[in-house]
Amino acid sequence: MEQNVMLNQEESQLSVEGLKVRFFTSKGIVKAIDNLSFSIRKGESYGLVGESGSGKSVTATSVMDLIPDPPGRIIRGKIFINGYNILNDLDRLVTIRIRKPTDVRIKRRKRLMKRHNYIMSGIRGDRVAMIFQEPFLSLNPVMTIGDQIREAILLHSRVEIANSIIKRETLNEDDVSKIADTLMAQPDNFTRKKLIVRVCSQYAIPELAKLFIDLFENSTDKEFITKELLSLVNTKKTGLSLEELEEARNYFLLMDRKHDLSLRLLEAEKQENEKLAEKLHLQIRAINQQLRSDYLVYSLKRRFLRRFIDKPFVEYATGRTLELLMQVNIAGPERVIDAYPHELSGGMLQRCMIAMAFSSNPQILIADEPTTALDVTTQAQILDLMREVNKTYNTSIFFITHDLAVIAEMCDRVGVIYGGNLVEEASVKEIFYNAKHPYTTGLMNAIPKAERRYEKTARLESIPGSVPNLIDPPTGCRFHPRCKFRMDVCSEKKPKLVEIEKEHKVACFLYSDEVENEIEEEVP
Amino acid sequence: MELKYFILRRSLVIIPTLMGLTVITFILLWGLGPELIYRGINSSPKVNIPLSQQALILSQNGFSAAVVNGKLVFTNPIGMYFNFVSDLFRGNWGYIIGQPLTAPTLQAIEFYFPNTIQLAVGATVMALLIAMPLGTYIGARPNSASDQVGRIFSLSGYALPAFWLGLVLIVLFGNNGTAGFGNGTSGNTPVGIIPYLNIFPYFGNGTEFLSTTAPKGFFSSTFGQTLPTHIFLIDSLIAGKLNYFVIALAHMVLPVATVTYGVLAGILRFIRAGMVDASGQEFVKTARAKGVPEGQVIKKHIRKNALLPTVTVLGLLISGLLGGVVTVEIVFNYKGIGWLAVQAALNYQAWGILAITFLFGIILMVTNLIVDVVYAFMDPRIRY
Repeated sequence: MEQNVMLNQEESQLSVEGLKVRFFTSKGIVKAIDNLSFSIRKGESYGLVGESGSGKSVTATSVMDLIPDPPGRIIRGKIFINGYNILNDLDRLVTIRIRKPTDVRIKRRKRLMKRHNYIMSGIRGDRVAMIFQEPFLSLNPVMTIGDQIREAILLHSRVEIANSIIKRETLNEDDVSKIADTLMAQPDNFTRKKLIVRVCSQYAIPELAKLFIDLFENSTDKEFITKELLSLVNTKKTGLSLEELEEARNYFLLMDRKHDLSLRLLEAEKQENEKLAEKLHLQIRAINQQLRSDYLVYSLKRRFLRRFIDKPFVEYATGRTLELLMQVNIAGPERVIDAYPHELSGGMLQRCMIAMAFSSNPQILIADEPTTALDVTTQAQILDLMREVNKTYNTSIFFITHDLAVIAEMCDRVGVIYGGNLVEEASVKEIFYNAKHPYTTGLMNAIPKAERRYEKTARLESIPGSVPNLIDPPTGCRFHPRCKFRMDVCSEKKPKLVEIEKEHKVACFLYSDEVENEIEEEVP
Repeated sequence: MELKYFILRRSLVIIPTLMGLTVITFILLWGLGPELIYRGINSSPKVNIPLSQQALILSQNGFSAAVVNGKLVFTNPIGMYFNFVSDLFRGNWGYIIGQPLTAPTLQAIEFYFPNTIQLAVGATVMALLIAMPLGTYIGARPNSASDQVGRIFSLSGYALPAFWLGLVLIVLFGNNGTAGFGNGTSGNTPVGIIPYLNIFPYFGNGTEFLSTTAPKGFFSSTFGQTLPTHIFLIDSLIAGKLNYFVIALAHMVLPVATVTYGVLAGILRFIRAGMVDASGQEFVKTARAKGVPEGQVIKKHIRKNALLPTVTVLGLLISGLLGGVVTVEIVFNYKGIGWLAVQAALNYQAWGILAITFLFGIILMVTNLIVDVVYAFMDPRIRY
């Protein structure tokens, strides 16, 4: 079993194990997520469906560790992103003391939380990105779209940017002629175009790509091309001092290394590998020392003269932003980049959000009802875009929605969530044609279908009752009060999520007698 | 640029408002009556002449007055109003005679108003310098211990009357002698009850000991040249006299501290409320999901939105301060526009009262204009 889990982690991009999320409110403790486990494989698109209030969005925010605190907290569980458990230090962050359900004292350890946030801010947006339901509300109203996308770019790929700027500044005649050679050697225009775009972004001159392509289409004379290329490149050189750029690059490298080490330190601490922890700790301290001594002037400059120092980086990021906006099929990206969110339509904003999310090529994209607030045609466009992105970058998508049609369009596998519990998980085909759990079948029957009008019973079925109050959830299976096939055992014991067919898991006593062992801890 | 037209349009709105203001000022003038107006009509009015002659002089100056039943009264309001307005815009604002000084009203304002500007701007800058970081800090940690302390601090700022706080500060730190930061008057009379801390002069703005003569030509006599700003802090720097600058600064400490406390309380509450409000919004989650470090989320994303409502409050506060922090100026005998207003009222200086009313109206209009423009700058959602 243990090995199985390990294997699972290897191939999975994101896996959640035994997640428990609680909201401590003045009315009591909301048991929003209870023992939720699932995993998303590389390149897969996984959908999570459920009614409103079933815990979909809470799951999504938990994966980013963005549960608003107070009142919410993840109290147990593991979330592996690329095999790294972001909740390594979960137990040490806070102590929760429950006097009464309405009177919960949470003691936060500020230093540890600060470290946790520091580590999370390097992971969020870099490895996992998220897009939200309401594009109107999700973008900062007083910053331009360009500013917000640039910010994301500058946060995560600073070293790469510095490297390509250095490459550009040191580009000389020999290099250019070599580039011209390779480009000339390409068999056809299409591969050449692709290569040109790649080379241009490598050398931080993305805006020249178009001119390059024109040049190669209009001429085959190597000498002329080399000369033209050189003059074009020279117009883009800013004559920045190489030392400064290298200093910046090394500084960013050091910062990235520090983040990496801190990440490993947390892991080592979790495994109680004291020797390794000690070693990592010393390394981090050495880096801090270096930052304080060698990079003191630079970090001061960054603090107070950021606008001037970051100029080449911002210029690069602007080019990249335009590129991203073009990728998400925005008309007139030059205009959009300087626009404020209120000047754009919902569909446009959602595209911008997607562009922002993909600014650092994340391996996982979490989409929390990204199309709910959009009209149907825009919805289709956004879904197309996401599918395209999913294919080209092999990004896993964690898709959250209550719209089963969208799930059918988008997802490879589906999880059905009810009252904070996963009740069924299967491939999208299985869910639609072979749903097992009474709740899932209920959901399926609640889809309005055109042909149903011509059947004898022209009634849209619905699941009676409503989502339970999670402060005081039903005992046993949380769905039993609304279930048509209710048995005695349902109200007493909680069914376990069991694999009844290949790749098809259900938590229901109709199919299996296995009981979920509820670990009643001191913290509920 | 569209902004240019926006500013122009907003400025044009001032004109009708200004006309309304002149009407109100004129009604005030009418109410004050011809006798008081006559007293300030020129620099040396003959008071002990028959009423009919006074009426004649008034008429010669554009005020239609007549003697009715042995009393001097105004007649023909319409013509008088137009005369009054044209006088107002030509800078003919009458005279203040006797107490607190004898000078053309405009000149008196020119002399006293810069002092108020110095106090108001100083206090606002201080308040902003403290409130911005403090408000950001406590606004990012609502309901924490530091938030509670901040809340008490700002509530007390609301609750304590400025004149009382000024008196307390004088009792604690005041010094009316040379022991402090050099006051030219003789004697060494610390009033402050904290030893070694009773160093701050609490009387005036530091110019008092330089000259006791009338304000006219005061600056030229002090510095040997005419200086442009009439603000002692700046003039002393322009003249290159650092010792005067230190004196001016020392005199500013207590009054500025008093005013700052009240202003700070107001701004702090608004920044905090704005921060709490903004941090609950969706775009903050987006910023965090992008991987923006917590400190930057607060400074860049939350605070930018939190400052929008603060600008409005700040505008109102500044216009209030420029309109004279009357009680503070009285407590510290600080000769600003508020002090002048009180003196003018106490001494039946009709022209002083009129002028200050008019001035307050203009200040309010201009600060409102500035607030609108700043707001348009800060919030792109404002259409202009």
